[in-house]
This record gives sequence, C-alpha cells and structure tokens, in this order.
Amino acid sequence: METVPKTVLNPYFSDTDKDYVYKTKIDAFDKSFGGILIVKKIASEHHRIVFTTELGNTIFDFEFKGESLKIKRILPEMDKKLLINVLKRDFLVLIRKNSKSLDSYFNEEKTMVESVLLSKKHYYTFEDGTLQKIVRTGNGKEKVTFLFSGINDNIAEAIEILHNNVKLKINLKAL
Amino acid sequence: MGKLKQHFIFISAKAGIFYSFILLFFGAMTLSAQTKMTSAEAEHLKTKVKEQAETTNTITSNFTQYKHLDFLSNDIESKGKLAFKSPDLVKWEYVQPYAYSIIFRSQTLYINDDGNKSNMDVGGNKLFTQLNQLITASIRGDLFDDAQFNMEYFKNNENSLVHFFPKDDQFAEFIKAFHLTFNAVGEVIEVKMIEPSGDYTHIVFSDRKTNQPLSDADFAQ
Repeated sequence: METVPKTVLNPYFSDTDKDYVYKTKIDAFDKSFGGILIVKKIASEHHRIVFTTELGNTIFDFEFKGESLKIKRILPEMDKKLLINVLKRDFLVLIRKNSKSLDSYFNEEKTMVESVLLSKKHYYTFEDGTLQKIVRTGNGKEKVTFLFSGINDNIAEAIEILHNNVKLKINLKAL
Repeated sequence: MGKLKQHFIFISAKAGIFYSFILLFFGAMTLSAQTKMTSAEAEHLKTKVKEQAETTNTITSNFTQYKHLDFLSNDIESKGKLAFKSPDLVKWEYVQPYAYSIIFRSQTLYINDDGNKSNMDVGGNKLFTQLNQLITASIRGDLFDDAQFNMEYFKNNENSLVHFFPKDDQFAEFIKAFHLTFNAVGEVIEVKMIEPSGDYTHIVFSDRKTNQPLSDADFAQ
C-alpha cells in the first residue's frame, strides 16, 4: 500500500532566481484583453504578481505574503472587489508551492491529491510525477480548472485557467 | 634581453590598465554629467525640436523596450518597429518575443494580437486620448506644452534630456514622468516612462528614417 504524502508540491513559480513572464489573454464576460503577467518569487511564501499592458503600463501590482494580498497598485477600472477576489484565489493556486495533503487517489498513470486552499477543496492531478491539472470544487462540482502543459525544467509553457461558473478564461503563454 | 622586454610589456600593460581605468572613470563622469540648461538653451532646444517636427512627415524606426521592475532579476526586453505619418497616425508593433501591434488612428485603437484583431473606441476615454496625443508628441518630440507639463531641461554631451511631469492628477497617477532624450539635431532617441512606483519602461530607438514615403499598407492592422 502506498502512503499519502504529507504535502502536495506545485513546482511552478517556485524558483526565486527566475523571472516568470507570460503573455496573457483574459476572456471575461464577452470581453477580451491581453497583457503581460509577471510573477516573481521574492522569498518563501512571498510573491509579486504584476500585470502590464504590452506597452509596459502597469494594470495591477499584487504582493502576496502567505494567503494575504496587498494591492500595491491597480487601475481604477479594474478595482472591483469581486474581480480582485477571483484573481486572488486563482493566483494563490498558481504560486502556492506546498499545500497540505488531506487525501490521495492513485491509478496506473495518475495520482490525485486533495488539499484545501482558502477553505476550498483543490484536487492536484499528477501524471508521471508531473503536475498537469488542479481543480477547485465547490458543492461537489468542478468550479475552476488549471491546466499546465509544455512542462520543461519546472516551467509550464502554457497555463489555462477555466472558470465553469463565471464567463472567465485566462490563458498564459511563457515568453 | 627577452626578460627585459617581458618586463617592459608587463609595465606597459599595467599602465594601460591604469589609464583605461582613469579614462573609464572620467568617461563615466562625463556620461553622468547632466547639467541643467539655461532658459536660453531650453528655448533653443524647443525651437530646434519644433522645426524638426514640422519638417517630419513620416518616421520609421526600430525600437528596443526594457520594462524595469525593481524586484526582477532582469529587465523584460522586447523589440519592435514603429511607423508614423503626420499628423497623428501611429503604428507601434512588437515583433519579439511576441507579435502585437497597435494602431492609433483618430479616436480608435486597432489591435492585432498575434492574429486576433480587435478595435477599441477610445473617443470618450480621457486617459487614452491623452496617451494617444502623448505617444504622437513623444515620437515627434513635440511635447513642450506648459499647460500639460512641468518641464526640466538638461544637457548631456551633444544630447539633450527633458523631464516632463504631467500636471493632470489623474494622469500623474498613471505616469509620474516622461524622460525624452534628443540627439544633436533634435530627434527623439530614447523615451523613459516612469510610473509612480519608480518602475519604468525604457524605449531606445534605432535605425530611424525620416520622410520616406509610407503607404496605407504600412498602417494596416
């Protein structure tokens, strides 16, 4: 019998020496806009996430320490509580390196580990030891899916964040 | 004999290093020797740049953009090209590391994001209208508007450097200052846009060509 690992590891965005830069497309409520998402791990449990236009102007600048978010800067048009909460939850999933493992399931190719982040259940799916997918559930339904692909040296070339209950899709492509 | 020669080479190499160091030191001193212009010099620069802008019908140029965020290990570098046609038609195009172009034409932005085309009406948006005017003005260099900016003038060898501080509070919240560097003939060679946090976008122009004929195809989305 295999043992349940104590923590579940998300290796993406975990190297303080790297600047993670992604060309980003956000489709929200039939509107589509793009920009550059910059993620930097400053220290353990400490990240900066900055979103700029292609021309370099800052749209928002977030600082995460543990589970708390400090908004260093945001354009007035984006300064909506609902939107910020959605982004906070999604970004935390991306940057949280170690989460407590509550349960896990195995079959031949896949391992699924259950964890809780901001009081919501998240399921991490690994194939051959590589994190491919994270699913956030609510009331037993899949609410948000995070898909990681083109993985090389702990960098995901493409990341997709799909919301099932609201019309929101975030596409990231590594630059 | 051979030993003496060797010794001599050693000494001259040492001296060479010493002199290069001194040169480098003074070179760096003159590079950073930005002195404030007198008001007469500032007026002269303004006149030169305005004349340059008035005789410029088209510009094409390559550019390299450095996005600087204090917490990053390296600036984010992108490259592209620019086309401008008087009075206010601008195509700003990134070719590396992504394909993205934006055309400013009267009240509309025409965007081509890696093949996905979209338009944005910005007629009602004060910030975008200002940004549009500003981009045109920075390319032409013709940004000297006392009503919109407080300005400071510096000379730096044969180049001139002007700091523009937006007077409009809403705009200043977006961009704290623009630094434009002009060459000896009054063309813009560098633009630095500084955000309130101190982070900035630095754009360096290269291979600039003026008054070459440009067609509609050069401004296609």
